[in-house]
Amino acid sequence: MNGWSGFQRDLLEQMPLILAGLRQTLQLTVIISVTGFFFGLVVFYFSNSPYRWVRSLIRGYISFFIGTPLIVLLFLMYYGLPQWGLKLSPFLVAVIGFTMNVAAYNAAYLTTARNGLDPSEIESARAQGFGRGQIFRWITLPQVLRLSVPALTNQCIGNLKDSSVAFLIQYTEFFARIQELAATNFQFFKAYLLAAAVYLGLVSILVLVARQVEKWTRLPGLGR
Amino acid sequence: MALIKIRDLVKKFGAHTVLDGVNLDLQKGEMKVVMGPSGCGKSTLLRCINRLVEPTSGTILVRDQDIMGAEVDVRALRQSIGFVFQQFALYRHLTVLGNVMLGLRKLRGMSRAEAEAQALFQLNHLEMAAHRDKYPSQISGGQKQRVAIARALAMDPAVVVFDEPTSALDPVMVREVADLFNRLNREGVTLLCVTHDLALARHIANRVIFLDQGVIRADDTLENLAKHHPNDQVRVFFGEKEGQS
Repeated sequence: MNGWSGFQRDLLEQMPLILAGLRQTLQLTVIISVTGFFFGLVVFYFSNSPYRWVRSLIRGYISFFIGTPLIVLLFLMYYGLPQWGLKLSPFLVAVIGFTMNVAAYNAAYLTTARNGLDPSEIESARAQGFGRGQIFRWITLPQVLRLSVPALTNQCIGNLKDSSVAFLIQYTEFFARIQELAATNFQFFKAYLLAAAVYLGLVSILVLVARQVEKWTRLPGLGR
Repeated sequence: MALIKIRDLVKKFGAHTVLDGVNLDLQKGEMKVVMGPSGCGKSTLLRCINRLVEPTSGTILVRDQDIMGAEVDVRALRQSIGFVFQQFALYRHLTVLGNVMLGLRKLRGMSRAEAEAQALFQLNHLEMAAHRDKYPSQISGGQKQRVAIARALAMDPAVVVFDEPTSALDPVMVREVADLFNRLNREGVTLLCVTHDLALARHIANRVIFLDQGVIRADDTLENLAKHHPNDQVRVFFGEKEGQS
């Protein structure tokens, strides 16, 4: 462990870039958490379609994205699509790739939570005269979302950590900037330790927020 | 004019015939009890009336309208039939008040204030207004049933149907449920109740319908069914159970 002063100098010099990278990381995390959540809701809605072919399609979608490494999907879009004449920016590839992947996971969590619902409540809502969409909006969704809060917030934490993968498609986020820092002075251990500490700090904040959300959304008798 | 008129109702699930030509009339203001052993088709019969289960054949007229007709608005039909489930099926994420208000708000399009007033009126009527802010997990079985009844009555239905109203309750509650049913009926509510609880039946009806293996085998007073019915099986069902309870 030597060269602290050199490392510090380089760190301070590159701080504006590192902070810009951090902003990109946070931006990507927030965007994919939001888009992944809403697209996950859409996937979840159709997972209970009255049409068998729609259900099969949704099952296929979820299996495909859970079963394929995200990096393959990102490379496919970033390096593969230009061969077909479609060139997308790293940011757009990251947003699309992560959204599809995160939505599949979120839909799987919501589907699991739905299995824990009391079917008699759904029957009761039908007996009252509610339609499919109304039952989804007023009975299923409020319960399933509450039951899934821990899984959904964990997914957001995962999104923050996984966003580092985006540096492999030239998206200059935090980890990419740390790579540059490490390459400047070859202080790999210090650079990556710093990266780990920053991720840990951010994740800790997210965990605290997540626990708070869990507390707000908890209801008596709605198991967790 | 019968409020509900059922003729030759058949329901088959695959090769299994659950209802095999049921005929039944329910008059406005009447309280009718259908009894029978578990699996005799009682619950299916109720579910055919609001088309939660689609009958295989036969006709069901509700207020002289054939509910199997292509032009029938099934959701409007369901709104006109209050259904109280065996496990009460309250929405767990809503308070007592929220449970009663949901249908008024989303199906009847009432404003929050209107829906709340109407819901509180029904909860008061069933002595549950004090529990308005509790969640279903925080109230007893009997209280849940009252909320389920308030939720059904709030929609101003033509009839309230009960599926095994005492099976999820403590046996000592039977008398209380019976008193409540009698009170509602005196106030003009039409009730159709399926049960295998003889104690409940004794407290709320003189005559009962006996449904067995999808067929109505008898429609008579409890005493006649227990002592004078020609079918052994019917006498045993009513006699033995009466002896036990």
